[in-house]
Amino acid sequence: MKGVMRRIGALVKLSLLELWRRNDMFALLVLALVLLVPLSLARPFGASGATRYFDEAALLLIWGYSLFISLGIGGRLFTSEFANRTVYPLLAKPVSRGELLAGKYLGAVVASWSALVFFYVLWAVSSVLRGGECLSTCFLQAFVLHALFMALAVAAAVAGSFLLSPSASTTLLAILFPAMFFFGRRLPDYAENVSGVLKGLVYAVYWVAPHAEFFDMRQRLVHGWGGVEAGVFLSVVGYGVVYSAVLLLTARFLLTCKRL
Amino acid sequence: MEDKVFELDGVSRTFGALKAVDNLTLSLGRGEVTGFLGTNGAGKTTTIKMLIGLIRPTSGTVRLLGGDPTVASTRARIGYMPEMAYYYPYLTVRELLAFYGGICGMDKQTIKARTDELLEEVELVEAAKRPLKTYSKGMLQRAGIAQALLNDPDLLILDEPFTGLDPLARIHFRNLLKKLRDKGKSIFFSSHELGETELLCDNVAIMKKGHCIYHGPVDRLAGDGGGNLERLFLEVLEKGGVA
Repeated sequence: MKGVMRRIGALVKLSLLELWRRNDMFALLVLALVLLVPLSLARPFGASGATRYFDEAALLLIWGYSLFISLGIGGRLFTSEFANRTVYPLLAKPVSRGELLAGKYLGAVVASWSALVFFYVLWAVSSVLRGGECLSTCFLQAFVLHALFMALAVAAAVAGSFLLSPSASTTLLAILFPAMFFFGRRLPDYAENVSGVLKGLVYAVYWVAPHAEFFDMRQRLVHGWGGVEAGVFLSVVGYGVVYSAVLLLTARFLLTCKRL
Repeated sequence: MEDKVFELDGVSRTFGALKAVDNLTLSLGRGEVTGFLGTNGAGKTTTIKMLIGLIRPTSGTVRLLGGDPTVASTRARIGYMPEMAYYYPYLTVRELLAFYGGICGMDKQTIKARTDELLEEVELVEAAKRPLKTYSKGMLQRAGIAQALLNDPDLLILDEPFTGLDPLARIHFRNLLKKLRDKGKSIFFSSHELGETELLCDNVAIMKKGHCIYHGPVDRLAGDGGGNLERLFLEVLEKGGVA
């Protein structure tokens, strides 16, 4: 058990170093600072209602950045190992493919979360500066669900990178997640207005595609509506965990089958 | 303790219609150094990949240090260096070795002591703080050999270890392998460098189209024991039979 923990710890550290030593990550964080700070501090015409829209836009940007980071890290996780041929000496060590996947995935998730913490701290500081609440239940729920969404997105990117080419997989997921985020809850209404194969297809997408909108608590956070009920919150957590686990098991199967 | 560090018994591996390795029987005794020769596409890398458990044979059995190489714990006492790997460009060589040490389940003190020793050995002490992306091909090769030796393996498997090395680095690397041989390590390496093979090996195995067409002592193959391996390698390949 100690050996397994050491191996997974080494893989987690590797993913963290990879994320934080890349120049594009710093460019992204600087861009986030430049865009988020003015957005969240702006008080147009002194109208308190209008600041909420800026707040919401800032949170939407955080969602965009976090999706970009998750898909970027997840998509690169194994493709760079294969491209640089580092997967060979790695798998020649006493590490199983399951441990490799678990360690690299955990590392990628922790690395993504470290960026998310940065974004949320930034948003919380600006919220406090405007006299808002920082550590409300709603804020904590929003953070946990957002973190869980990132874990799901990383798992999807990892599984996708085994199925398709890295660029194809990232592009597909970069369309799928925002599409579900904005239109996911409207799919059943749409399905009722069409017929035949298309109806079945829309329902299939509704039941199979990851519901990114479940994890979105921006409205509640911005308008101060408070947190969701514990049962609803736990259901979404369960959904995220199960969905991520299914994607990881798929990735594990594809890694085993992959020709080395 | 087993006599053989690895044994391939009637091993075949096909990729679709291509038979990359065909009914290969080969073994390596403890403390032996064997060069694995053959033209491109002869099946050397596929054999090595089966040896370290990266791929399973289609038929036949592979035993590595008495166990199944596809089981992770069997690989704890081997060191492997691939043909050319571009190790994590954002890490320094110390971080690289710390990472691999963690993967091998080594503790921090052991990793540090072993890293200091190996960086001296492969002459990367001065470049130890530089990220690997700034390394030349030869330096990356030396980092590769350091990672392969990190866990003080009983068996060293090297895929084209002389590729990318300048003459000086080649001499140094050859001396390092001789030192390891003298320490009783078993070494199995594929190579196109017949001169290096002749200088280092007790035995050679020659592959042609997935078959092993010669496996035996270098001096028996070379006859007078000096500089003839190239001529005889060509002869064996042309004959295509077992010498």
